[in-house]
Amino acid sequence: MATRFRSLFLIPLAVLLASPVWAQEADVIEPQPQRREITEANIDTENFEIGIVAGVISIEDFSSSAIVGGRLAYHINEDFFVEAAYEQATAGQTSFEILSGGAPLLTDDERNYRYFNLGLGYNLNGETFITDSFVINSAAFFTVGAGSTKFGGDQRFTLSLGAGYRVLLTDYFSLRVELKDHLFNSELIGQEKTTHNIQYGLGATFFF
Amino acid sequence: MLLQIQGYGLNRLKKIATYLLWLSLISLTCPAYSAEEAEVMVKEAFVNMHSGPAGGYPVIAVAAQGQWLSILKRRTTWFKVQNEQGKQGWISQADLHLTLDSKAQAVKLSDGSFESFAQRQFEFGAMAGSFEGVPSVSLLANWMASENIALGLNISQAVGNYSENQLAMLNISHNAFPEWRLAPYFVLSAGKIWTKPKGGLVQSGDEKRSNNVISAGVGLRYYLTQKFLLKLEYNSLLVKTDRDTNEELAQWQLGFAVFF
Repeated sequence: MATRFRSLFLIPLAVLLASPVWAQEADVIEPQPQRREITEANIDTENFEIGIVAGVISIEDFSSSAIVGGRLAYHINEDFFVEAAYEQATAGQTSFEILSGGAPLLTDDERNYRYFNLGLGYNLNGETFITDSFVINSAAFFTVGAGSTKFGGDQRFTLSLGAGYRVLLTDYFSLRVELKDHLFNSELIGQEKTTHNIQYGLGATFFF
Repeated sequence: MLLQIQGYGLNRLKKIATYLLWLSLISLTCPAYSAEEAEVMVKEAFVNMHSGPAGGYPVIAVAAQGQWLSILKRRTTWFKVQNEQGKQGWISQADLHLTLDSKAQAVKLSDGSFESFAQRQFEFGAMAGSFEGVPSVSLLANWMASENIALGLNISQAVGNYSENQLAMLNISHNAFPEWRLAPYFVLSAGKIWTKPKGGLVQSGDEKRSNNVISAGVGLRYYLTQKFLLKLEYNSLLVKTDRDTNEELAQWQLGFAVFF
C-alpha cells in the first residue's frame, strides 16, 4: 500500500521531471537557416563564350598568311552552339607574281582578306587524361557556317566547315585548336573555280 | 516573369562589365562565390553530380536524400552545385527538378519549356537561303510586341557572280496561332537595298547604288527545343528603281533563332 502511495507521488514527480526533458529535446532541433529561393533570375548563367583566335590561313593561289580574329558563341544546350566569327589576314603573292617579277595581280587593298561567318556547332563532350590522375574537361567540336569573304576587292559568299578541340582549364576559361576550310568561288586567276582556304589556329575563350 | 527577365538582364550586364574588367587586368583568378546562392534539398534517393556540364562527363559524386545543395552557376541546362561537404559537381535540370526549394516546394524552372517560349520577349537568329537565285545569309532580331505581333530588324547579304547586295529591312509580323508549336505567320517589311556590281566582270563604271524596298512574305516557325526555334520564310520584294518598271525579287530563307 505504502508503495502505491509512493508511486502516486512519484508519477507527478516523474511528469515534472520529464517535461524539461521534452523541452530540451525540442531545443535540439536546429532553427531553419534562412535559405535563398531558387529562380531563373538568381542563378548565375554562363551560356555565352567570347574569345580570340590566331593562326595561319592558306589562301588558295596566294600563299599562306597569318590570320587573327574574334568569335562570339551562344551555347543552346550541352550539344549545340551557334557562333559568329570575324577574321582578317593579308594575302601574299601568287607563284606567278614571284617568278615573273612582273606587275602584281592585286593591289595592296585587294589583298586584304576579311571574313565573317554565322554558324552552328556540335560538341562531343568528354575528358582528357593528361596523366592518370590529372584530368581536364574537354570537347571535340564540329562547325558548319555561312558567311562572306571580302577578297580581291569583292565580297564572296563563303561556306565554312570546321573541326576543333577545346580544353576547359576552368569552368569559364578554355583553350582551343581549330581547323577550318573556307570555300568560295573565285575568278581572280582567270578561270572561275571553287577555292579551299584552309586555316588552323589557336584560340582562348571566356564563358560569361 | 518580366521582373525576372529584367533581373536576369541586369545580372548579365554586371557580368559583362566584370569580365571586361578582368580581361583588361588579364587576371585569371577564380571568382569568389557569394554567400547568397540559392539552395535546394534532394528529395529523391540521390542525384548524380557530374564533373562537367553535360551528360557525357562522368559522375564524380552523388548528393543523397535530404542533403542541401548550393546552386553556384548554370551552363545551358546544367547547374553547378556544392554539397554540404564542400564537394562541387554539375547536376542536370531534370535532376534539379527532383529537389525541394527553401519552402519545401518541388523545384520547377519553367525555362526550356513551351511555356517559357510563349513568354519570350526577344528572338535573335540567323538564316541562310536564296535571294533571286544567289546565296544569302541574314541576321534577325525580333521584339515580341504582343503574343501575336512582333517587330523586327533583318540584315541580309547576298553575293552573286555579278553583284553583291546588302539589305536592311524593318518588319512587322503577325502570328495568328501563337499557341501552336508549328505556326504560320505573315510579314510586311520596308527597307533599303544596296547593290554593287562586281569588279572584273562588269566594268560599266556603276558605283554602289541604293534603292528603297518593300516586301510581303509568309513564314513558318517551329519551336524545336529548349531555347531554340526554326524559321522558314518566303518574301516577295519590290525594289523601287529609277527605271520605268520596278524590280521584283524573291527571297527564300531557312534559319534558326534563340529566344530570351
